[in-house]
Amino acid sequence: MSNTTVIASRRLDAPVAARSRRSLLGRTPGGLLLICVLVVAVVVLPVGVTIAQALDGGVSAAVRAIDASSARTLLLHSVLVAAVAAPLAGVLGVTTAWFIERTNLPARRMWTLLAVAPLTIPLFVTSYAWATLGTLLQGFLGAAGIIAVSYSPIVFLLAAVALRGMDPALEESARSLGLSARQTFFRVIFPQLRPALLGGMLLVVLDTLVEFDAFVALKYQTFTVHVYAQYELSFSTSGAAALSLFSILLCVVLLYAESRLRGGANYTRVSQGVRRPPTRYRLGRAAPLVLAGFALAATIGVGVPLGTLVYWFTQSSQAGLAGASANVRYLDPAALTSVALGVASALVALVFALPVAFLVVRHKGRLSTFLERATYLSFALPDLVAAIALAYAASHYVPGLYGSIALLVLAEAMLFVPFAIVALRATLGQIEPTLEDSARSLGLGPLRAFARVTVPLARPGLAAAGVLVFAFVLGDLGTAQVLLPPGLYTLGTEFQANAATVAFAAAAPFAAALVALSMLATYVLMTRFGRVRALGSS
Amino acid sequence: MAELRCSGLAKSYHGRAVLRDVDLEVPAGTLTAILGASGSGKTTLLRLIMGFIEADAGTITVGGETVAEAHCVHLASDKRAIGYVAQEGALFPHLTAGENVGFGLSRSGRRTGARIAEMLELVGLDGDYATRPSHELSGGEQRRVALARALAPRPRIVLLDEPFSGLDAALRAETREAVLQALGEEGTTALLVTHDQAEALSMGREVAVLREGRLAQRATPRALYRTPVDPDVAQFVGDAVLSEGHASFGMVRCALGQLAIANPGPEGPVAVMIRPEQIRLTWRSNTNGANGHSVTGTVLGHTYYGPDTVVRLSLGGSPELIIKARTFEQEVPGIGEPVELAVIGPVVVFPPQAGLTGHPRRGESRVHLHAS
Repeated sequence: MSNTTVIASRRLDAPVAARSRRSLLGRTPGGLLLICVLVVAVVVLPVGVTIAQALDGGVSAAVRAIDASSARTLLLHSVLVAAVAAPLAGVLGVTTAWFIERTNLPARRMWTLLAVAPLTIPLFVTSYAWATLGTLLQGFLGAAGIIAVSYSPIVFLLAAVALRGMDPALEESARSLGLSARQTFFRVIFPQLRPALLGGMLLVVLDTLVEFDAFVALKYQTFTVHVYAQYELSFSTSGAAALSLFSILLCVVLLYAESRLRGGANYTRVSQGVRRPPTRYRLGRAAPLVLAGFALAATIGVGVPLGTLVYWFTQSSQAGLAGASANVRYLDPAALTSVALGVASALVALVFALPVAFLVVRHKGRLSTFLERATYLSFALPDLVAAIALAYAASHYVPGLYGSIALLVLAEAMLFVPFAIVALRATLGQIEPTLEDSARSLGLGPLRAFARVTVPLARPGLAAAGVLVFAFVLGDLGTAQVLLPPGLYTLGTEFQANAATVAFAAAAPFAAALVALSMLATYVLMTRFGRVRALGSS
Repeated sequence: MAELRCSGLAKSYHGRAVLRDVDLEVPAGTLTAILGASGSGKTTLLRLIMGFIEADAGTITVGGETVAEAHCVHLASDKRAIGYVAQEGALFPHLTAGENVGFGLSRSGRRTGARIAEMLELVGLDGDYATRPSHELSGGEQRRVALARALAPRPRIVLLDEPFSGLDAALRAETREAVLQALGEEGTTALLVTHDQAEALSMGREVAVLREGRLAQRATPRALYRTPVDPDVAQFVGDAVLSEGHASFGMVRCALGQLAIANPGPEGPVAVMIRPEQIRLTWRSNTNGANGHSVTGTVLGHTYYGPDTVVRLSLGGSPELIIKARTFEQEVPGIGEPVELAVIGPVVVFPPQAGLTGHPRRGESRVHLHAS
């Protein structure tokens, strides 16, 4: 009877509205929700404290600080850099991802490495390296360019995951319908990349608005620089806090705008059935041009910082080793502090990010999206302001924590939680929910199913998320400068201390250590980001 | 005694009812197949029973224990002792076949491995498979391991969600046999969800047809095929020729003659359902069964399936009266050849409006035959 369906009219096959995975998922577990709410509460804490501080000196004082015309001009500077850098990073990231994932570009692994590397090299190292090349690269142009190149890997990583997850049949169908490669890209691929692109650009914009050290190095006056000045000149917490209201408001507006633009789209789709590799386009005669473009991007993002570093080293040998060697004895303890701080912060960030990422992947909905995006408020404050708020809160409510390295670890983790969530989502989204369902049907409770199925499969994503936070902690200065306990120093603070006084030769060993660590991080990111555990590997 | 009992189950999403008032009983130690097209609510029903989602109304009992009652009781999935075989198996990719099978066992059970070996043997895989990474298994082997994994903790009932989808015909039949045998040996109660009529009819002790969120009919495969409750079910479980007729005294008069009724009931105008294999053809070069006063038709074309052939005919030379007949003879009348038709066995009648009201859809070959 199996092959005799002749007259069978499929009346039962009534047209039914598209059935989404979302509608088949059960109720969100209360425990998970509670944990996520707590995580958000912790991450948003500095924002709350800052608002309280801003209003502490009275509303009129806050208004006065905000009303100063210089503040508005500098805010415009910040917005301008973000407005130029984010689209640039978006175009760069998506283009790079498409060429690497969809064409027969030679040496794709090497280009992937070079495409990811700018993200893990601390931004202040890149900025100082560029600044020393000449005044043309300082100011607005340099700032926008460096931000774009350094953050484009975020878009690249997300776009590459999205491209890998796409069903190749979609592109094949488009081609068979007569669309050229270019038309296929704009009409089929690009719409699917939109969530990755928007999400990536949002991170770039938010991070740019509160960036400080890079702009100092590039001698570009932005809003954050003004906030720092306000703090350093007047030691006025409420003035700096009042100015930060601007960036909080801006952050909220941006989050809202992105949520409206993104609509209901997902970051990652779970494709069903067997994955087969997509057809790669042959570059043909365009190959030299594309390779030249890649080489240029790599030169800007990786070549210049590394080249400058080498130059600084040669300078240090010419200047005699006296100055440098005096500093080198600080290298080991600084490296140790940096690594320990990075590892601890990464672990804490993972603990924060894992429940939120799981919630948003497995229990899609307004509430989970709201909670996830609420963690992005950690970008609402300049590092310095957030650190001060946290120190203030600790000194008042948890005196034991005040002045301890634990507070710094917590601060760093809170600061970079959104990046960890992005990395975890990219992986968790690839894990079939039926695997967790099967574990539940075999008698495992939700926590044990999570521990025995989800976590082992998500191991690459955990590694990527941890390493991403680790790299950002290495590249962070503002928080460390405020919260680092006396007597301790990191690679970053030592580099900064020397570089700020134009003692680049002395700063070089610290930069070299930072770059070496960042290259390790790059390798982990390029091999793990957005991947699930390889089949059958143990 | 029913091992699984669902009563009054209802579930809707965003105001759209996906399941409405579903009553279902699965007798202990047997397999019941839920047959439904995509979008009929099969997966939702399965997920309700599993406890992945909660019903808006109704209760679910397993072995006499209420595991779910709307707005009142909701036993967690892992406490229900209901095995689950997902589509395509859903084997844990980071574990070997043996580790997959042992996944739901206690730590000591996993360590001794006796149950794992027993289960692998049960599904017809030898001990070497225990150490094979799950991605090295073929499609059929993956389904077997998935079943072994579900059965290993001795569940009270096992749910199979389209467990053979994506397998080719030969492997499908072979895997089906292995699954039935394993379930039988363990004496496990099972609920199979499928959109494949052949699979439902051949595997289920009982078959329940789910249509637009309601259970349309629950019966033994034979009863379902022979006496479906309405034309829709008739056409869903197999091919059907539908006609209009007039019933009286256990007989119906229609375009195919005066025929005996299998389900006497309605009198007067009715819809008549005849299975294509009930229609016997006789023609010049073949004289068996000719009885002189049967209906005549002309052959329009045929489709050859190997064991059987489906012949497309127009009745009485009218191009509007087209029906299909299935013959198991290798010899078939040629195109254009006149044939005589006779209907073997009783036919099914439905109240006239029962199923002939809807608009025929594309690809549907239902014909309206007018009683002469």
